[in-house]
Amino acid sequence: MASKGSIDRGGASAAEPVAEETLLRLYANGDAEAARELVGLLGPRAYSVALRVLGNRAEAEDVTQEAMLRLWRIAPEWQSGRAKVSTWLYRVVMNLCLDLRRRTQTLDLDGIPEPEDGSPAAMEQLLHVARVDALQDALMRLPVRQRQAVVLRHIEELSNPEIAGIMEIGVEAVESLTARGKRTLAAVLADRKDELGYQDGG
Amino acid sequence: MADETTRLDELLAAARYSRQDIPDDLVGRILTDADRIQTDRYTGQRAVAKRREPGLWRHLLINLGGWPGLGGMAAACATGVWIGMFPPDILPDPSDLVYQTQGDGEFLGYYGLVDVLGEEG
Repeated sequence: MASKGSIDRGGASAAEPVAEETLLRLYANGDAEAARELVGLLGPRAYSVALRVLGNRAEAEDVTQEAMLRLWRIAPEWQSGRAKVSTWLYRVVMNLCLDLRRRTQTLDLDGIPEPEDGSPAAMEQLLHVARVDALQDALMRLPVRQRQAVVLRHIEELSNPEIAGIMEIGVEAVESLTARGKRTLAAVLADRKDELGYQDGG
Repeated sequence: MADETTRLDELLAAARYSRQDIPDDLVGRILTDADRIQTDRYTGQRAVAKRREPGLWRHLLINLGGWPGLGGMAAACATGVWIGMFPPDILPDPSDLVYQTQGDGEFLGYYGLVDVLGEEG
C-alpha cells in the first residue's frame, strides 16, 4: 500500500480542497512526493466509486488509472478555485465509467470486497458478504446514471449539489435519480430477503 | 416497504464501511504515470529552452554588454555629437583640423617632404 501521505484523509472536509489544490500545484512544480500524497488522498475514493459503479475490479483499476493520469496531465493548467480536485476527479471517473459501459454491456460481479479479518463469527461474516454481494448485484441492475447517483449519495456520502456538479445535472435530477434508484434496490433486495437472512418485521 | 428501506439503508451503510483498499500494484502504476508525466514535462521544457538560441540582434546586444552596455554607448555617441556641435573653448576648432590653412603646411620650414624622406635613407 502506498503512503497515504501526511494529509489527514478523515479530516474536516473544509480543509481538503486546499490540501488537494496545494498538492496538485506542488506536483505541477516538480514535487514527486506530492503525487504520492495525492494518490493516497484521491486514489481510494476514485477506485471505490469506480468499483461500485462498474462491479469489476480490472475495469475499476483501468478507470482509476486513467482518471489519475488525466489529473497529472491537467495539473499545470489547474485553475485555483475552479472546482474541488476531488469533484473534478469524480466527474472524470463517472464519465469514464459511462464510456466503458457504452462499449461493454457485460456484467461482472466479482468486484465485491471481502470483509476484513476480525469479524465476530464466521457465519455472520458469510452473511455479511452475501448481503454486500446482493447490494452490488442489485446496484448492477440499475440504469448506470441511477447507479452513479446512488453510489455517490449513499456510499460516498456526497451532497446533492456536489453530485449535481459531478454528473452535470440539476439537484432535482439528482434527487429523482437517487429516489428511483433506492426504490428499485429495495424491491430487488425484497425478493432475496430469505436468502439474505432477513425475516419479516426485522 | 419500510422494512425493505431499512434493510437497504443498513446494506448501504455496510457497503460504506467495507470499502476495499486500492490495490498496491494500481498505486504503483499511478505513481509511475505521475513520474513519467513530470519527467516528460521537464524534459520538454529543457528541450524548448535549448531550441531558443539567440538571434543576430540578441547576439549583438549580448556582445555589447547587454542593455547597460548599449545605454552607455548611446550616451557616449550623444556626448560626441554635442561636443562636435558646441566644442568647449579649451579644444581647437575641429573645422581647423580638417581644413588646414596655408601656414600650417609650412611646419617643416623650408624642407619639403621629399627632402625629409631622402634623409631617412
